[in-house]
Amino acid sequence: MTRQTPSERLARATLIVLACLLTGLFLILPLVTVFAQAFAQGWKLYLAAIHSPDVLSALKLTLVVAAVAVPLNVVFGIAASWAITRFDFHGKQLLVTLIDIPLAVSPVVAGLMYVEVFGLHGWLGPWLDAHNFHIIFAVPGIVLATVFVTFPFVARELIPFMQAQGSDEEEAAVVLGANPFSVFWRVTLPNIKWALLYGAILAASRSIGEFGAVSVLSGHIRGRTTTLPLEVEMAYNEYNFTAAFAAASLLTLAAILTLTVKKILESTSGIHAHAEREKDAA
Amino acid sequence: MSIQIENIRKNYGAFEALKDISLTIESGELIALLGPSGCGKTTLLRSIAGLETPDSGRIVLNGEESTRTNAARRGIGFVFQHYALFRHMTIFENVAFGLRVQPRAERLARAAIHERVSELLRLVQLESYGRMYPEQLSGGQRQRVALARALAVRPKVLLLDEPFSALDAKVRKDLRTWLRRIHDELHVTTILVTHDQEEALEVADRVVILNAGKLEQEGTPEQIYNQPASPFVYNFLGNVNLFHGRLLADLTPAESPRVPSPSAPSPSAVVGFVRPHEFEVSAGPVSGRNALPATLAKLNAAGPLVRLELIVADAARPVIVEISHARLRELELQEGNKVYLTPTEIRVFNDLPEDMVDFGSHI
Repeated sequence: MTRQTPSERLARATLIVLACLLTGLFLILPLVTVFAQAFAQGWKLYLAAIHSPDVLSALKLTLVVAAVAVPLNVVFGIAASWAITRFDFHGKQLLVTLIDIPLAVSPVVAGLMYVEVFGLHGWLGPWLDAHNFHIIFAVPGIVLATVFVTFPFVARELIPFMQAQGSDEEEAAVVLGANPFSVFWRVTLPNIKWALLYGAILAASRSIGEFGAVSVLSGHIRGRTTTLPLEVEMAYNEYNFTAAFAAASLLTLAAILTLTVKKILESTSGIHAHAEREKDAA
Repeated sequence: MSIQIENIRKNYGAFEALKDISLTIESGELIALLGPSGCGKTTLLRSIAGLETPDSGRIVLNGEESTRTNAARRGIGFVFQHYALFRHMTIFENVAFGLRVQPRAERLARAAIHERVSELLRLVQLESYGRMYPEQLSGGQRQRVALARALAVRPKVLLLDEPFSALDAKVRKDLRTWLRRIHDELHVTTILVTHDQEEALEVADRVVILNAGKLEQEGTPEQIYNQPASPFVYNFLGNVNLFHGRLLADLTPAESPRVPSPSAPSPSAVVGFVRPHEFEVSAGPVSGRNALPATLAKLNAAGPLVRLELIVADAARPVIVEISHARLRELELQEGNKVYLTPTEIRVFNDLPEDMVDFGSHI
């Protein structure tokens, strides 16, 4: 590296200080505040707030929703990526675009769309009501909304990865006599597992934190249809700051956990580096 | 297993990859499909394997119509250009794969699989590599694993798609000699796709040359080399000098060749091909023969033959000539010398495909 001139050193120092300041002000400080506020009234009140039936039920619902939405996304994501990267068909570009719709549409709009379809005054609402199915203002609606907003995560992670890997190994397996099921379990899945896990973690993180779409569909029934993000907002609006920040601290912890796992995945599996290498080789 | 290919056509959108190809391959033969990239040779190979479905035509394997048979049921071994080894499996598991995915009724017992894999790893001289992963092996080793994997299921046909093209020159030469030895040992019907004419002529019993989706010529390596059927084949087989001229009289190959002269009025424009070693170089004009005066521009004596680049008046490009070291010593040639060239063989064609115009020397 060449020796830096004093003005270059100055520019470098200024930029580093600026970056640290902005990160501190907009990221670290608010993060610390969440925990500071949660513990403002002391440990005991924090634990009591977390143990309150409302927060516990919100936590449970959040986890249930994630537990349903993430596996569904994994299945849809694999199916979509497989179709897009391994076959040529009419409307393929349209499908690729459709997968991105949830990223482009505001989650509130997504929620409203489901109200329009499944609500009491919607297209399917009266029939569903007559058969005693409850989707809107109930758990199925929350799951639906979460599946919608997290839909692109797995597919978007897998498509470029599978494109870079190519289908040579699968073709080799087929010629060797493997049936489609064996090809998937023995060749495709082991090759994409890290990228798949990575996409699933992003989807899980988003499904735990989703607010907008869920808010429209939930009906805010305490203890029954509130997830953690909704609980945070409701407690906050009621000036119950300890409860609000206690719930918020759980969400923040989930986020930090996600980031850590994601980071570990990146360094141990080298998925992104690997995909790059494949591209270079091809 | 014999293979009959009957009137195969395949289009990708507007691009015609295969235009009515028919070909018969005898059991136990090693044939090379040779052609430039984009000529359809890989598409043809993949159609035989069942990895592509032709738009029309038939593929008959061992007398059995197989055009639409699933690739998994064709009893074919396929070796890919970029090896396509299963990267998450050890070398041993790679070779064992085809044996493990057999339907339960036909599957070998565990011990028998182990024995077969060990036998194959011995065949490809990689016995001690069983526990390693593909990324720990060199390109040449990987391709040997790929071959062992393809042979494990005792295929009736072995298809190789440019198997050595990703390897460096030395390894490539070793592997193709080795491939020929394996073929002589196992006698499995083999089709080798390649764009390397040297590889095809050296290894194959029979060479099939494809160009732009059409079969250009087929024959033994000797026939292909000595009697190229078209300017394309002549050109594709390697270094060649091209002369444009007008035919003064009918030439037969047996006749002593004469170089057509541009000044002579004659209606039929022709092209003549002369390979670099098919020239006699002399220091002075040769009486009774039609010799071309030329100036030696470059001399390269590094190699089994001496390569001369000569400037001929009116020619757009230098003429390339190869002579022996002994002849070079006799002539005591130096760059800048004036010499006379007499072609000992010249092959004349009437037409020249457009993509070859401007390829060689113009006289």
